[in-house]
Amino acid sequence: MASANCPECEGDVALGDDAMQGEIVSCPDCGVELELVSTSPPKLEPAPEEEEDWGE
Amino acid sequence: MLVVKVGGAEGVDLGTVCADMAALAAEGQPWVLVHGGSHETNQVAEKLGHPPEFVTSVSGYTSRKTDRRTIEIFEMVYCGKRNKALVERLQALGVNAVGLSGLDGRLLEGPRKKALKVVHPETGKRLVLRDTYTGTVKKVNASLLRLLLDAGYWPVLTPPAISEEHEAINVDGDRAAARVAAALGAETLVILSDVPGVLRDFPREESLVERLPRHRIEEAQERWAQGRMRIKLLGAKEALEGGVARVILGDSRGESPVRAALSGKGTVIE
Repeated sequence: MASANCPECEGDVALGDDAMQGEIVSCPDCGVELELVSTSPPKLEPAPEEEEDWGE
Repeated sequence: MLVVKVGGAEGVDLGTVCADMAALAAEGQPWVLVHGGSHETNQVAEKLGHPPEFVTSVSGYTSRKTDRRTIEIFEMVYCGKRNKALVERLQALGVNAVGLSGLDGRLLEGPRKKALKVVHPETGKRLVLRDTYTGTVKKVNASLLRLLLDAGYWPVLTPPAISEEHEAINVDGDRAAARVAAALGAETLVILSDVPGVLRDFPREESLVERLPRHRIEEAQERWAQGRMRIKLLGAKEALEGGVARVILGDSRGESPVRAALSGKGTVIE
C-alpha cells in the first residue's frame, strides 16, 4: 500500500490502492485534512477549507 | 416590495406566473421576478454533447458540476431562452419588463468557490473538486434595480452572478432571490417550485407544513426537507435574517400560483 508524508507533521499517511486524485484523507498523527494532489508519486497538501454553499 | 422566484423544473407554467405578475403590476405592486432554468439547461446540455453532471457536497447538498462549458450552456438557457421567454410574455401582458442576468451591472455578485468538497457517487470517498464556476451571491446592486423600478420597468433577473474576479458563476437562484429581497427591503419573498411547499412526509402532498416559525427552519431542514427544499429553506432563513418579513414556499403548478402563495397557500415562514 502506498503512503505519503503529511505536509503538516511529516507523519506517514497510508493510502488505499484505489486512492484517487483529489481524495481527502486525514493524517492519523495530527488529524489535519489533506488532499491527495497527485497519485504518482503520491503527494499530499492541506485540503482547502471551503464553506459548503452551492450553485444551482 | 415583492420578490418572486420561479424555478426551472419540468412542468413549471410560466404563463400563469406571468399573468399573476402582470395583474400585480397593474395594481401598482412593485416586484422583481427571479427565475431558474435547470430542466431546460439539462436538455440543451444533452443536445450539445455536454450532459449535465451533479455533485453532492459532504453535507448532502446536490448541485450542478459547473465547468466553463457548462456555464456557457447555462447562459444560453437562463439568460437567453428562459429570460427572454418571460420578458416576451410579460410584454404581451402590458408589463414593460427588462430581463437581466447577475452579470449585467454586477446585479448579483459574490465570491467564486474554486474548490469544493464533494462525495464521489460510487465510492463514497470525499474529494476536492477544482475548476468549478460556482459561488454564492453576497452583494446585490439594489440601486440599479431601484433605478429601473422608479422609471417604470419591471426587472426579470436570472443567474449567473459575477465573481469578484469578473467571471460568470453559477449560483443558487433561491438564495439569490433571498439576497435580492433583503437588499430591496421586500416585505415578502415567494419561492415557487413544483411541490406545494415543505412536506413532512415527502412526496405525500397532504403532509404540507402550512406554517413554519423562523426558529424552526433548521429543524425542518433536518427532519423533513428533501433535495432542493433544503436549499430553499436556507434561502428563506437568509431572507428573514436580512429583514424580509415573510417567505412563502409555494406551488408553481396551480391556476394562479403567485396569488395563491400570497394568500397563504404553501409553507408560510415568518
